[in-house]
Amino acid sequence: MFGFLKGLGVTLRELPKHKVTLQYPDVRPEWPERFRGVHRLLVDECIVCNQCARICPTDCISLSGTRGEDKKIRLDTFDINFDTCILCDLCTEVCPTEAILMSDTFEMAQYSRDNLYLDMHWLHDNELRYERNHPERFQKDAEGNEATETAGEPQ
Amino acid sequence: MELTPAGRQLPVIEYEGFSPEENALLRRSALVQPLENLKAWARSNSLWPMTFGLACCAIEMMGTGASHYDLDRFGIIFRASPRQSDVMIVAGTVTKKMAPLLRRLYDQMAEPKWVVAMGVCATAGGPYLNSYSVLKGVDQVVPVDVYIPGCPPSPPALIYGLNLLQEKIRMEARGRKVQA
Repeated sequence: MFGFLKGLGVTLRELPKHKVTLQYPDVRPEWPERFRGVHRLLVDECIVCNQCARICPTDCISLSGTRGEDKKIRLDTFDINFDTCILCDLCTEVCPTEAILMSDTFEMAQYSRDNLYLDMHWLHDNELRYERNHPERFQKDAEGNEATETAGEPQ
Repeated sequence: MELTPAGRQLPVIEYEGFSPEENALLRRSALVQPLENLKAWARSNSLWPMTFGLACCAIEMMGTGASHYDLDRFGIIFRASPRQSDVMIVAGTVTKKMAPLLRRLYDQMAEPKWVVAMGVCATAGGPYLNSYSVLKGVDQVVPVDVYIPGCPPSPPALIYGLNLLQEKIRMEARGRKVQA
């Protein structure tokens, strides 16, 4: 009986305190800037150097490109297999033009493994979504230049 | 989310011993559909997962069950026995040595039962893709309903996957198929 009252005392003491639970499906979590979510891809930046595909520890990236009339290389396909992608950020670190970056998209659960194979269109859409969700991270600085990704560099 | 792709026809079932009118009603499940919906509602809101933590994903699964994300809000209460569970959250790397035991625990669970593959290890082997000892995807031994990528998936990602599973249970009770 005493133990019961003691336990109830703890409950009553905790009741008026601030609730810590994040009501997730209704309230979105606030991710830090360097959160490693699903990739986003800047298609025009990519120079098809294949470094991301080479450094990937699980070989989940495959890409291809062609050289156009003006001798500029263009990205044709860019697929990431999220079956095996471990979101280790290595592809982002080696990318010389910062074409592939991490976003904060995390809602990736699927009913089928086939849907986890994502192409460059999805990844580019993810970039647009990221820009829409975080306009403050893309603000232009005083010279009018696009503020280079501060999220990737440690302050 | 489009759950019934256009052009997919479900097979037409003829029930024996009923008139065509009753057959039409039965085919639309007009007689037992409210009961099925009720069952699906009850099942999807009391998913009791078996604690199947095998690696670092288990830490995230425990974190999801703790107060900050609180799986109890969805009626998801972890059970220690397969006999009491409805859903198996395979959280972590399944080795080839573990695979027969995983299958046995799955077989011991009472119907209806579902499997969630949490993390890329359970989905396809993940970073151990070229390993000799790791099973390349838990779907080689048990049927998986929801795959959650990530290494490990954050607690909200796990909650999102479990919500997808609840949606699937309700959809299938209505006789519809979720988009595979």
